[in-house]
Amino acid sequence: MNEDRILRLLEDVVGSEYVSCEEHVLYAYSKSNDPALPERMPDYVVRPGSTEEVAQILKIANRYRIPVIPRSGGCCLTGGSRPIEPGGIVLDLTRMNRVLDIDEDTMTVTVECGITWAQLNAILGERGYYTGCLGPGSGLCACVGGGLSHHSVGGGGGAKYGPCTANCTGLEVVLPTGVVIKVGAWASNFIDKSFTLYAGGPMLAGLFFGDNGLLGVKTKAVLRIYPVPEYHACKTFALPTKDADERATRILYEWRLKADHGVLYDAFYFPPVSAIAYAGALFGQPLIKGWLTEKGMPRDMAVVFYVIEAHTEETLHANEKLLDKIAMEHGAEPLGEEIHEGNIAKWFYEKQGHWQIYHPLWCGTGPRIIAMTTEHIAPIKRIPMIQKKLDEWQRKHSAELAKVKGIAGVGQFLMVEGFNVEVTSGIIAEYRPENMELCRKLWIDQAKFLTRLGAYYYMLGEVLSMAVIDAGAFSGPYYEFLRQIKYTLDPNRILSPGKFYL
Amino acid sequence: MEFSNLRKYEDMLYSCSRVGDCRVSVRPSIGKYGVCPVLEHSPGFEVYFARGRILLARGLLEGKIKPTEEVVRVFYQCMVCGSCKWSCNQSFEESVVLPISQIIDHDKIWEAIRADFVEMGIGPMPRHREILAWTRKEYNPYPPSKHADRLKWIPEGEKIPQKGKIVFFVGCTNPYRAPDLLIKYLELMRAAGVEVAINPDLWCCGSIALRVGDRKLGEELARHNVEVLKNIGAEVVVTHCAGCYRTLKRDYPEIVGELPFEVKHTTEHLLELIKDGKLHPEKELKYKVTYHDPCHLGRHCGVFDPPREVIRSVPGIEFTELRRIRYNSWCCGAGGGVKSAFPDLAVKIAKDRIKETTEVKADTLVTACPFCERNLTDAVNAMKSRVRVLDVIDLVHESTITK
Repeated sequence: MNEDRILRLLEDVVGSEYVSCEEHVLYAYSKSNDPALPERMPDYVVRPGSTEEVAQILKIANRYRIPVIPRSGGCCLTGGSRPIEPGGIVLDLTRMNRVLDIDEDTMTVTVECGITWAQLNAILGERGYYTGCLGPGSGLCACVGGGLSHHSVGGGGGAKYGPCTANCTGLEVVLPTGVVIKVGAWASNFIDKSFTLYAGGPMLAGLFFGDNGLLGVKTKAVLRIYPVPEYHACKTFALPTKDADERATRILYEWRLKADHGVLYDAFYFPPVSAIAYAGALFGQPLIKGWLTEKGMPRDMAVVFYVIEAHTEETLHANEKLLDKIAMEHGAEPLGEEIHEGNIAKWFYEKQGHWQIYHPLWCGTGPRIIAMTTEHIAPIKRIPMIQKKLDEWQRKHSAELAKVKGIAGVGQFLMVEGFNVEVTSGIIAEYRPENMELCRKLWIDQAKFLTRLGAYYYMLGEVLSMAVIDAGAFSGPYYEFLRQIKYTLDPNRILSPGKFYL
Repeated sequence: MEFSNLRKYEDMLYSCSRVGDCRVSVRPSIGKYGVCPVLEHSPGFEVYFARGRILLARGLLEGKIKPTEEVVRVFYQCMVCGSCKWSCNQSFEESVVLPISQIIDHDKIWEAIRADFVEMGIGPMPRHREILAWTRKEYNPYPPSKHADRLKWIPEGEKIPQKGKIVFFVGCTNPYRAPDLLIKYLELMRAAGVEVAINPDLWCCGSIALRVGDRKLGEELARHNVEVLKNIGAEVVVTHCAGCYRTLKRDYPEIVGELPFEVKHTTEHLLELIKDGKLHPEKELKYKVTYHDPCHLGRHCGVFDPPREVIRSVPGIEFTELRRIRYNSWCCGAGGGVKSAFPDLAVKIAKDRIKETTEVKADTLVTACPFCERNLTDAVNAMKSRVRVLDVIDLVHESTITK
């Protein structure tokens, strides 16, 4: 391959300003949000400004068999937005960040996929709307394209709206060969607003939802929009540490079962270790000052909280009363109403803390602390089992964890669609270059361990997409089916090569 | 390559969780609409905002990346405005502390790496070198201006003491480029019956040298100035320049230890005098005013309210806030050596602020820093805008002195 020729071809597509093969520019793309993984530099970074440019880049990549990694916010925690092997093209899609249409007839918004969840919701907020699920916890930086590629959830609204993909009604995708297709109602030549996915034959949008960038490059998306309800309530409860997992499980389950449909916006459970750590026992300083005792010590407790929304005061109050009753029946005690009194749900909802609450778990706990996530989806009722098994895993690996000053466990459980929770599990450890290999070994081991317990990962990137295969999660016919789809769409295997070992 | 300055902040570099809040954070609930003005006016690659730069700094420290001319250029395309620091893990809620906000001080990283470039002889930018060379010779960054001419603007016959409890630190930009503002301040002091001293032996505060990485020169200037101020019995040092203010207030104590005098910005000083009834802005000014927070005064030193209070004390003024203010303010584009080394970039960024001014339907953009004022004025001229750019002192003077 003549590298200068490739550079010139890419420059012809996007202009010389938006392509680089300079070492220092490439180096900045050698990682995503994955502190334990080694840097992997691409050969080129390209910032296309349109679908047509993306298509042309993929055609060049096909012609010269160059691997391509799509990337927008660069927030993948598992190495998904940087090359798995050095080299290739990183396709930085953040230039494509426009809102193209807000349609109040179909209550949808059409966007370019390089817009962040925060940018989009700020624009919608001016009209009193939001996207329901506000994307991932990194939504201040993470983009719509990455969210849809991961079934992202956690940035707010997970209990009410489910993952962001559940709120998507159309996609424009550039296939690995450079062919542009639209899925959803958009697939019809006679429909300009992609108002639904649920007609027109097979729901092919599903191929690209949660594909971790394997099957196509998402360039435009149509998302549902919803009016932000006029009323909301946020409440945080302290839960006794004894049997906290069982109590929290019953609370979350009953909240889901009994709250009026469409009222429960978010519900979280912080297990005792996590809640006490947030109050400062682990991190050396209180993260949430309202979770301290009067004497300034971390309060011995677990925490649950809810955020509810309603269009009428009556609905709000009725549900508030019901949810409070359920929590208190299981031994929960409400904290004060204000954020400084420990009502973290209020910060979460009113101050957009939902886009920051995870930061301490993503290694932001102290100097040189790194995180290795195994976050996944599981049924609510499995909370006690997951906790117990992760404790067992931690005990089994205690010597190795001690070497890297590591701790394993769950930061929080948050309710998502149905009777399920997103489990923010993983390991935090001290960053030392000499420890990284052991850290990665532990990470992969925990991922495989949880896979075999039924963990269902949504953000797979490099590490988890390989771990699920190594753990034997997929049956032979299923994996072959996935492989055939991949190779049909991407005959030269240029897009995100290596994920799922494909 | 030895990055001895950067190495001091190794913990910060390895604490970056790469969440990316430093890219484009938009949080209407706390008034945040964007983070990095350089990113917005660049080709947009990761190296143009903090996350990519921190990774690049790690690469330099680990010897994986060579400090080429282009790398040096990247690190100088930054105003050190502090916006990334105030976006990184900032809960904007007193009772919720995200630990990384307490660990990473981005400004220190950017200045450390620049100091390393200077020590290696590959920094600062060529234009900075000219400025620093002149500062070494004549103690000001404006060639061919001589130090001897620093106080030439003082009207003939005006008797200003050289020693006193309250010392007016006039800096460099206004004495050499726009002395009218200083004259206005002196007139206000006379009206308030306050005696201020101006000493001819004071030099450039050292801000430019410190910001672009010439620590040796910056420290030399700092030590000299502190010595002079000590010798003339200064109890309070007042300056109208946000750059001087930040340097005196934050850098000097780091260089020389605790200062034997208090440092005040003119907006703080004017507010005190107005509150004490010594100054009376009486004339109504029918201006629709908005205020631009200078980064060195606001984000760097937390002085947000005094300028606003002073503006509001002027009768007749209709005051409206810009969309991005206080900790979330948008830099004017001039600081950190950007105005001198990358003048086009500086003006492009300043244009953002002028557009915001017209968006809130203000006709007057008031600031409290001569450097901001100059760059914003350049943007107004480039845009052929009708927005009037003034300093807080201009407003108070017009309302108090001009009859």
